[in-house]
Formats: sequence, C-alpha cells, structure tokens
Amino acid sequence: MKHPWLTSLLFLTSTLVSSENAVVQAQLADDAIRQKEAARVEMLRRITPSVVCVMSADAQGGGSGVLISADGYAISNYHVTGGTGPGLKCGLSDGKIYDAVLVGIDPTGDVALIKLLGRDDFSYASPGDSETVQVGQEVVALGNPFLLAADFTPTVTYGIVSGTHRYQYPSGTFLEYTDCIQIDASINPGNSGGPLFDIEGRWIGINGRASFEKRGRVNTGAAYAISVRQVLLFVDHLRSGLIADHGRTEFTLETSSDGRVVVQQISEVSEARRRGLSPQDEVLTFAGRAISSANDFQNILGIFPEGTRLPITWRNRDGVQTATIRLKPLHAFAKAPELPGQRKPPKQGDPRNPEEPPAPGLLPEQAPEPEVPEAVKALFEVRDGFANYAFNRMEKERSLKPLFAHIQSPSGEGAWILEVATEKGDSGELVISQEGAALTIGEKTWAIEASNQKPEDDVSMMPGLLAASLQWHRLLNRREEGFDDIVAFGSTIHLPTQKRFRQIVTREGIRTARWYFDDSSPFPAALDVEISEGVDEARIVFDGWTSGDIPHPGRIGTVLPTEEVVWLKVLKASKKQEGAGAQ
Amino acid sequence: MKPFFATTNPLVLVSVMLFAAWPTSFAAAAIRNTQADEVPQQTLTDVIESQEPMVVKLFGAGVGNLDSYGSGILISEQGHVLTVWNHLINTGYLTAVTNEGRRYEVKVAGTSAAHDIAVLKLQSRDDEVFQFISPETFSDADAGDSVLAFSNMFHVATGNEPVSVVHGVISVRTPLEATQGRWVFPVRTEVLLIDAITNNSGAAGGLLTTEDGTPVGLIGREIRHKISNTWVNYAVPLSTLKPVVLNLLAGKKVESAPAETDEQAMISDQLLTSRFGITMLPNVVERTPAYVDAIVPGSTASSSGLRRGDLIVLVDDTIITCITDFQKQMAARRSGSRIVLTVNRNQQLETVTIKVP
Repeated sequence: MKHPWLTSLLFLTSTLVSSENAVVQAQLADDAIRQKEAARVEMLRRITPSVVCVMSADAQGGGSGVLISADGYAISNYHVTGGTGPGLKCGLSDGKIYDAVLVGIDPTGDVALIKLLGRDDFSYASPGDSETVQVGQEVVALGNPFLLAADFTPTVTYGIVSGTHRYQYPSGTFLEYTDCIQIDASINPGNSGGPLFDIEGRWIGINGRASFEKRGRVNTGAAYAISVRQVLLFVDHLRSGLIADHGRTEFTLETSSDGRVVVQQISEVSEARRRGLSPQDEVLTFAGRAISSANDFQNILGIFPEGTRLPITWRNRDGVQTATIRLKPLHAFAKAPELPGQRKPPKQGDPRNPEEPPAPGLLPEQAPEPEVPEAVKALFEVRDGFANYAFNRMEKERSLKPLFAHIQSPSGEGAWILEVATEKGDSGELVISQEGAALTIGEKTWAIEASNQKPEDDVSMMPGLLAASLQWHRLLNRREEGFDDIVAFGSTIHLPTQKRFRQIVTREGIRTARWYFDDSSPFPAALDVEISEGVDEARIVFDGWTSGDIPHPGRIGTVLPTEEVVWLKVLKASKKQEGAGAQ
Repeated sequence: MKPFFATTNPLVLVSVMLFAAWPTSFAAAAIRNTQADEVPQQTLTDVIESQEPMVVKLFGAGVGNLDSYGSGILISEQGHVLTVWNHLINTGYLTAVTNEGRRYEVKVAGTSAAHDIAVLKLQSRDDEVFQFISPETFSDADAGDSVLAFSNMFHVATGNEPVSVVHGVISVRTPLEATQGRWVFPVRTEVLLIDAITNNSGAAGGLLTTEDGTPVGLIGREIRHKISNTWVNYAVPLSTLKPVVLNLLAGKKVESAPAETDEQAMISDQLLTSRFGITMLPNVVERTPAYVDAIVPGSTASSSGLRRGDLIVLVDDTIITCITDFQKQMAARRSGSRIVLTVNRNQQLETVTIKVP
C-alpha cells in the first residue's frame, strides 16, 4: 500500500490510468487510503480532548501539555511551566479555561506535572510503548504552535520518526534530552510540552525541543520528544510534588580505541567498586540494554530517577560479572533552577534580535502580578527540595495512613521477641528494641547497638538484617516521631521482586531508609537501609504480614548483593516487658 | 547550530510568515505509478533500515560559522563516498563515521566543480568492505514522488547510530539559480526541489531516495534562491551525476579546486586566518560587511590590537564596503609592508597598524 502522504496525489492521478485493470487496482488503493484516512480522522477526534494549552499565569507565554488522568493530572515541559509560582491557566479543546496547579518538576528531563482543577472526568491520553517505536513510523504531534487557536483546539502536525534513542546535550545548563525520539513533524514555538502520538493514537512522547538555526525559531524538520517511558519513570516522583532528580554513577566510562566500553575511573567507596568493578573492565549491559559506546551508557542512564537500582554486567579477567547498583543524585536541586534564557520582558528594539522586532500592542506594558485563585492556593505549599510540598503530604498519607491504622497500640517501649527459623530448619530468636537488635541461632549470637551500628557485627549470612530490623521496629513503634524526616518519593521497580512500589524515604541520623508500599497490603513489602557511606545497604523483603499486638511478617528475607534472598521464618512474636535490649 | 526550546511568546508570530515562501507546488504533482500491485510490500521502516547504512557522517573543520560536519553516500565496496564539494571538503582534515560507528580518515579522490561534487575515499584496510549504492543503480525521480532524505543534519547522530531521515514530496524539477555569497550554484541542468526541510546544517551530501529506497538525489548545500532569497531544499538528481561519478571512480577526471574567478586576486579565508590571524564573518551574502569574527591569539592581528566585532572601513586609503573588497586589498600587500586599517569599533573610528608577515 502506498504511504499515506501520497493520499491526495493518488486521488488526483488515478483517473489518468487507461487500462481497466489498472483502474480497478487504483480504486482498491483509493479505498484503502480512504479507510486509513477515516481511521486517522477518528483517532484524532478521540485524542484531541486530552491536549492542553498551557499558559503561564503572567500571560507572558505558553506551551502545550497532555492530560494523563481523569482527575486532571497533565504533563508538560519544565521550560513551559517554570518552577516558581503555583498557578497556571489551561485551555482545552472544549474551549474552556481551567485553573491548574504546579505539582512536580523534573528540571533535568524538562518535564513538569500539573493538575487541572474543577473536574474529575477529564479526557486523557493512554500511553503506548516508546521502546518499540521504529524509525519511519508515522506520528502526529498535537499542541498549540504560535498559540494559534483562540478556542484551544490543538494544531495537528504529521510526520515520521527520524531517529530513536537520540541524545541531546544539556543546552547550556541542565536540560538534557536522553534516549529521545526524533521526528520530522513540524514543531514550532508553542508545541513544547505537547504530546506525540503514534498513528493509533497512543501517547509516545512529549515534544520539547527542536534544532533551530538559520531559518529562525521555526520548524526545521528536526524535533525531539521525550519518550513516554522516561516520563512514566518519573511521573510518580512528580505526583509526590518533588523536584525530581536524575541519577549518576560513581564511575566514568570511555570508548576504547578497539571499540570496547571500558571503565575509566571509579570511586573507591562506591557500591560498584565493592561489587568488583575495576578500571579497564568492559561494561556490557546497563539497565538491560547492550552498551556499545560511552554515549549509549549516558543515553540509558539519563532516563532514570535518582535512587533507582539497576542491573549492570561487565567483563573482566574472570569472565562476565553481574551486579545491581543504585544511582546517586545528579543535581540535588533545593530550588527550581532557573531556565536558560528565562522569559524576561523584551526590551524595545533589542539589537541582538533584529529579526524579531517587538510587536507593539501584543504585550502589556507591565504585566500585572497574577492573582492566585483560592483553589490553587489550597493545593500549594512551599518547601526546599519540593516543587509543591502539599502533594508530598498527600502521597505520604496514602502509604502511611493505612499502615498506622493497622498498628493497634504502639508501645513506644519494650523489646519484641520473634521466634524464628532458618531455611535449613535451625530455630532461634530475633530480639529488637530501641536500644539494639540481636539474632541467636543455636549457639551463635549476633548483636548490634542502635547508637553505634557496626555492619561487621550484623548477621554474617544475612548481612544488614539487624540494621534493617531496627528501622522497621522504629517505624511501627514510634511512627513519624522516630524519624528526622519522611518524604514520599514516587515509585520505583524494586529489585529483586521486579515489582513497582510506591517509595517512602525516611531519614534518621545518617541512616536513610526506603520503604516499598503498594495497595495489596498496608504494610511495607520491602525495606532498603543506607547505613553509612561506603557500606552496603541493608536490604530486606517482607512476606505475609500479620497485624495484631506486634505486627510482624511471616518471613523476613535478606537480599544479598547477588540479588539472592536468604529467608528467615517468623513463627511467633511476643513483647518483652522490661529490661529490653540486645545482649 | 544551537538548540533552542520551543516555548512561545507572541513575538514569535512574526516568524510564521517564513512559511509562505517554502516551495510546495503540489499542483505540478504527477505520479508515475499508481498500480497497487506494483508497490513493494516492505514498510517504510524496512526501507529506511536498508538505506541508513549507505550514508556516512563527515566531520571536519568549520569555516567561520559554517558547519564542521556533513554527509556522504557510500558508492563502492572499497569505501568511496559521494558528497557535495563544499567548504568542508576544502578544509583538509576530514573524518567519516559509518552507521555503526566505525571511524575513518578520508582522502579526496576526485572532484567536479561543474557538478558541485566530490568523491572521497575512506582510508580503510584493504580487506574491509562496505555496504554501498552502486552508481549503476542511480535513478531518476519526478515531481510528485514521495521521497526520504537521509543526512547528518544538525549532527544529531554523532556516534554509532543511524543518520536522521525526513520525508517529503518532490515539488518540481527545475533548473536552480542560487548563490552562497559570491559562489554561484554551478549545475545548469534540472534539480529536484523538495517540499520538506531537507537542506539543514550538515545535510549536504546526504541521500535522497524514493519511498521504496531507489537512490535518486544528492542533497545539496544550504543556499538561497537568487531571486526570492529564500533557503532552497534541493537535491541534484543522481541520474545527472551518474556518468560524472563513474568517471571519477574510474580515476579518469580530477578537477582542481574551483578557480577564484574574480578578475583581481583575493586572499582566501584560510590564508587570512593562518597568515594574519583574522577570521571574517562568513561571506554569505552578496556584499557581506567586513566584520571581524575572530582573532587568533598571538597572531599578527592580535598584536596589532584588532578585535572581534571591528568593522573594517578602510585599508590605508581604500574604502572597504564588503569582505570581498578586504580580501582583494589584503592579497595585494607585500610581505614586510605595513597596512593601516581603519575600523568602526563601538561607533568610534579607530586605526590599527598591521605588519604583513
């Protein structure tokens, strides 16, 4: 079948064909094309209501966005929404303007999450799989180039995928487009933040960047969309009101002269180093993708949030090695960073922009300070490290409220005594209190003090078990009071379970713990504790919680660096009345 | 090339008018083949995947603000590459990177100024072979044909990744009157004008195929039409180039660098930089004002006090109205003589004296 951009041409020329057979053939082609066109029209009718015209509250400019949920969450570009000021105005194809609140931002990835207010039945886009996108595939970009539509009906531009897994360097500062989709559909000022759809109407990207040059800031046939895969990896972080951060590794790579990707430098205190990764080792895969250049690595690294644990394989003298490593924070922005060339009121007749003279009458002399509606104010709270702390509060409650509701009477005092058994059938006792934790199996006892946790004292065949036990004892016993800080931290794929969980991160002294929750249980499914710099995390998985006087899991698994799990069965739990503590 | 972000403010509305000038003459469209059963069954993705390995990315030295990268088409198993004979080829240092990231030094094997092409040879090992498009398969295309343009535009694909591809339709076949500064597009026969933006930075030397992958055009330079002054998206038909390329491959004809045709001798851009340490703005319009774009540190120009941004208005007593004037004057000076340059610097006239090295 002819490619659809020939639609009109085929129609024009089909009458020129003389042979009767050819006429029939052409008619068949026409029918196929008409059907395809009708399907396209129908697809656009279906997806159009999800497209948002995003306007900054100061009316200085705008861009586009796409609704992703019925209750009004919408994705746009960070360089459209900016990071300051809670209020935005959003136009939909119904012609109406909605108030919206800024929820979360990912400055490095140039993504922002906003929430449109006033309805709970918004039309929204369904994501496709951007990993399967192929060069040559047809795509449509929807948005509001040049803010053309006064009634907010989005403009549709059509094109093909020009390249996949493209890397676009940080533009001057921090905005980095990794693993993005290159398209030749027209992308112009105002398209930013708008959705890219495949020809079936599945949302596959966010159009945010284009190569502009001598022709001015208009389409050149080279534009870039952030993959929906990356957006979805961050969306729960954004929902948590965070200034989401990307990750870095504690080693650098280079492509050697013979084309291998080898470790250049590596931090001596890094997790990867503890797993045995060394300079000159050849990195083979990262996050499940084959690495054939140092750029490949940067490209895949860039799509993950800070704190994600990812698998890596490499080759050294002894053969192929595997491990998992956790990404460190890349920028750790406390406040929303300023955008390059952040919109400022244009000066009259700026000599540096002779081709873009100011258009008198289009801009107010002095933009009035926008008034923030009460509904928006109520959903906005300022705090360092957050785009909007009000949403973090909500996400935190979503995980912790059901948990605390299941703990009947936190004692605050007293030790727990758990009767346990190893996989081999050896029985023993795990004692946990505020002062310390100890495990006795047969003749052997391991014990650590809460105030001076020495990893070498922890259980040798279940490293980190006691340190992690102190954390869950603390959470169940002392709730929020037990920690210096608790934040909701989006969601992540938890290793080794391979399931997506909501993350709650707690901090207590130098110890940071990640708790993994989902809707199947009020209790955490797993727990990773960073005890201190340069020491392996204590990683624990829980199985089969029993609520009651002392809520406890039926099994506690210790995750080894190899991702194998060593289980300890919990047979019974009781409370020691006084003089509790470790031996 | 600088990446910018596609936010808008109302000022940008003025740019919309640029669209009106783009060639989109659908009216002239005609299609050679409308029979459904003759259309190949392969998808566009298949076609693109089969053609991407044929295009190499070229990296060299830029001149002024002109690009330091380009594109080329592999045309022999041994690694001959067809490209446009532009500034990139003349800079003397060139690397080619293949689809899968192999990197080669490049030598110029032959050129034709009349066709604006160069044939390069990758400095590969004798036993290395390349996927290539045989010049024997170079074909013709006409207005209305759907085409794909493969190129290293904006050097998006720097490493072991395929070049970019954009789609479009051939708008018209027509002779092209276009210029780039004082340079005049030399091909007098018809070229293919395309309704998509194919001639971006670095796209020159890229491959134009029909939607079934038939090679039909060599993507040309970034040039403007002589009359409308708009940027032209064009490709030289490969059918036109076929005999020339076959000749060059056979080593039969090698032309020297295009002659500087002006009646008076001019100092070249390169010599002005290497000898005096002065780089002027790219000479891209008919009479580009003689602005200094860069000064090489430690050069004669640098010690004379000449600065970036100076507009040269006099060489001794001769009025300079454009870069070409300046290049002619500088070519006429003997080694050891002194030249007094009068420059406009921040709306003040100042003089600097340069000793000719």
